[in-house]
Amino acid sequence: MSLTNPPSAASGPASVSARPQTLKRSVQAAFEDPNDRGAKGGYQSKVKVMDKYRVVGFISSGTYGRVYKAHGRQGQPGDFAIKKFKPDKEGEQIQYTGISQSAIREMALCSELRHDNVIRLIEIILEDKCIFMVFEYAEHDLLQIIHHHTQQPRHNIPPTTVKSIMFQLLNGCQYLHTNWVLHRDLKPANIMVTSSGQVKIGDLGLARLFNKPLHSLFSGDKVVVTIWYRAPELLLGSRHYTPAIDLWAVGCIFAELLSLRPIFKGEEAKMDKKTVPFQRNQMQKIVEIMGLPNKERWPLLTSMPEYSNLSTLTPPILHPGHHHHPHHPHHPHHHKSSSAAASTSYLERWYSSTINGHTSTSSPASNGSLTSLGTEGYRLLAGLLEYDPEKRLTAAQALHHPFFGGAGSASGMGMGNASSAERISGNCFEGLKTAYPTRRVSQDDNDIRTSSLPGTKRSGLPDDSLRPVKRVKDA
Amino acid sequence: MAANFWESTQRRHWQFSKDELAQMRENLEESEQSLVQMFPLPQRRHLNIYFNQQLGRLGKRLGVRQQALATAQTYLKRFYCTVEIRRTNPYLVIATALYLACKMEECPQHIRLVVSEARTLWPDSLTLDISRLGECEFYMISEMHSQLIIHQPYRTLTSLQSDLFLSQDEANLALSIINDHYMTDLPLLYPPHIIALTAILLALVLRPNSPGGTATNMAAATAALMQAQAQAPGRTSSSNSSQNSVGVSDKERQQEARLNKVQRYAGFLTESNVDIEGMVDCTQELISFYECHEQYNDKITREQINRFVKARGLDKP
Repeated sequence: MSLTNPPSAASGPASVSARPQTLKRSVQAAFEDPNDRGAKGGYQSKVKVMDKYRVVGFISSGTYGRVYKAHGRQGQPGDFAIKKFKPDKEGEQIQYTGISQSAIREMALCSELRHDNVIRLIEIILEDKCIFMVFEYAEHDLLQIIHHHTQQPRHNIPPTTVKSIMFQLLNGCQYLHTNWVLHRDLKPANIMVTSSGQVKIGDLGLARLFNKPLHSLFSGDKVVVTIWYRAPELLLGSRHYTPAIDLWAVGCIFAELLSLRPIFKGEEAKMDKKTVPFQRNQMQKIVEIMGLPNKERWPLLTSMPEYSNLSTLTPPILHPGHHHHPHHPHHPHHHKSSSAAASTSYLERWYSSTINGHTSTSSPASNGSLTSLGTEGYRLLAGLLEYDPEKRLTAAQALHHPFFGGAGSASGMGMGNASSAERISGNCFEGLKTAYPTRRVSQDDNDIRTSSLPGTKRSGLPDDSLRPVKRVKDA
Repeated sequence: MAANFWESTQRRHWQFSKDELAQMRENLEESEQSLVQMFPLPQRRHLNIYFNQQLGRLGKRLGVRQQALATAQTYLKRFYCTVEIRRTNPYLVIATALYLACKMEECPQHIRLVVSEARTLWPDSLTLDISRLGECEFYMISEMHSQLIIHQPYRTLTSLQSDLFLSQDEANLALSIINDHYMTDLPLLYPPHIIALTAILLALVLRPNSPGGTATNMAAATAALMQAQAQAPGRTSSSNSSQNSVGVSDKERQQEARLNKVQRYAGFLTESNVDIEGMVDCTQELISFYECHEQYNDKITREQINRFVKARGLDKP
């Protein structure tokens, strides 16, 4: 099971323009398996990837295989991202070994899903013992967008963009959940954004249906969700997890859109043998901002398998030297116990220092300060980063949150119904003066079979400033 | 989509009219005329009975649950909509369908185990290794356009069981009728809830040890459906049908109670505004399947299948 790498992590800064001819051939070669054709009556695909698509470059790789950018050869409009699943054994003679269950899930789910905010599958081609999933192409992803804003001068993502991204993300999430699909790996690298500003949930490699588990969901894959985005119930060993795990991740992404860095940037404890270790470091990071969970806020807390480990964590300390923020006149917390106030206020402090804090560096041309997100932004964040999964906002509830003007179009398939669109645009780039750099596409197909842990790989993101900002025109 | 049958690929791509289905099969046979003439096969329902048995045997050895068997049966049906049977080794296709269905239904079986059980089960008809099964998996997924999520009637049955006050016997009978419908074309013709509702109706009128032959039961089922149809708003009534059902019922007290239940059910169907005509058709299809089942000859069916498998060398890789 892959804990996927951030797919945007490319091969490094070498070879942007060098040796294009030979390397281009190697990109093509990845699609042409010369091995074994025409064994008697052998399976032959009716559609050939190379007849239909022209690969123009390599996008990313992960434990699952590789993703390439392609144009249609038969006049299909737009660009495509082709995900090629890695055969089990690379190199030597490839044999059919049976398709992994996770690939089967992804293929089946992607074939069913149809929503504006979920990446669209064009087709799946099974050819020469390889699986090629052809998706619509998305020029950006949230990891890339966040990264762009950290470039000097560091400047916040405009609040209208944040709102639109969050609304679209939640809309896609709601669609998945009403269709009994858990994504289980939401993180900035997996949230695609098209050049027209449409947000698309991508990479359903860990997704699965939760409506009819013959076995408990736990027994299948013991570890899900990249550690920084992993919900507390998972960290505490819960066996019966729910769509709420995706909403915790959405909360983490929201926070990251505001502060431009992962809110809970823990270090993953390695698996030893087959036992799953308690992720102390990650849980500690959460506690530092959220305070320690307790039974009052989370009644089922004490029945969590890793509950006993909680006592080993250090509760957050209020640094005496830490500057006191101008405190908002006490506003009522949006729901449940008021006794939660003490611990939630850590998050509140984090929020207010984030939206009021380092926005000053933004240029006057910036599209506005995050302060305009106001207390509703905090409430939405707190609702998503709620310890108790049962109290955590659902996607539908979040869409109706006053943060979005209260008129969330929870119903209906598409987004951008006139009623809801008064303030939330279906184009998250609307009103922006500058365009984001396009996705880095490399001609280099070298075999980066990195299975590095998430959290260590992040720094491998190529430096945007080094690359020519050039738009690849649609075919 | 996954939870929404109406948006699903099953509804959009794998539900046909009878004419469409017949046309597809005719085209297939036409394109393989010489094969078809050279190797006659029993009627399709008898083939299905045989396939169902073989699948069940393999499933039993592997300890596979009914839900995965049902999905495998649907895969078989879809596959043979586009591929001529005589071009395949049905034992290979059965093993592949089951292997794939188990993954899809979240009860995966190791490919090695499936291969070894299939070998033991069909030593003379199938030379099988992992690579061959894996290749057939590609073939099958490709023919189904990766549309692997199957909506089954079981969930409708489970959710209605208490609403309709079905006894355990009745629920079990409905369950086995649903299991049986995979031996007909119904999974390719009707949505799963129509199948489930028909199975419930038949369970209510056929019930175990019920007196009277098929004809009587059939009449009762049809009468109930007629009644539902007549009451449905905007439909023209055929008023004498309820008269009929009263005529059938006056023999025994017990049967009368049962009839009341049937009539209540008919009322439920009316309110739910379901496709009654579809249910009538499903009912007839199932009844005629049960009649056809009585003529099934296992030996002849097996021989005819094994004949083309051997003659065409399909048992060898």
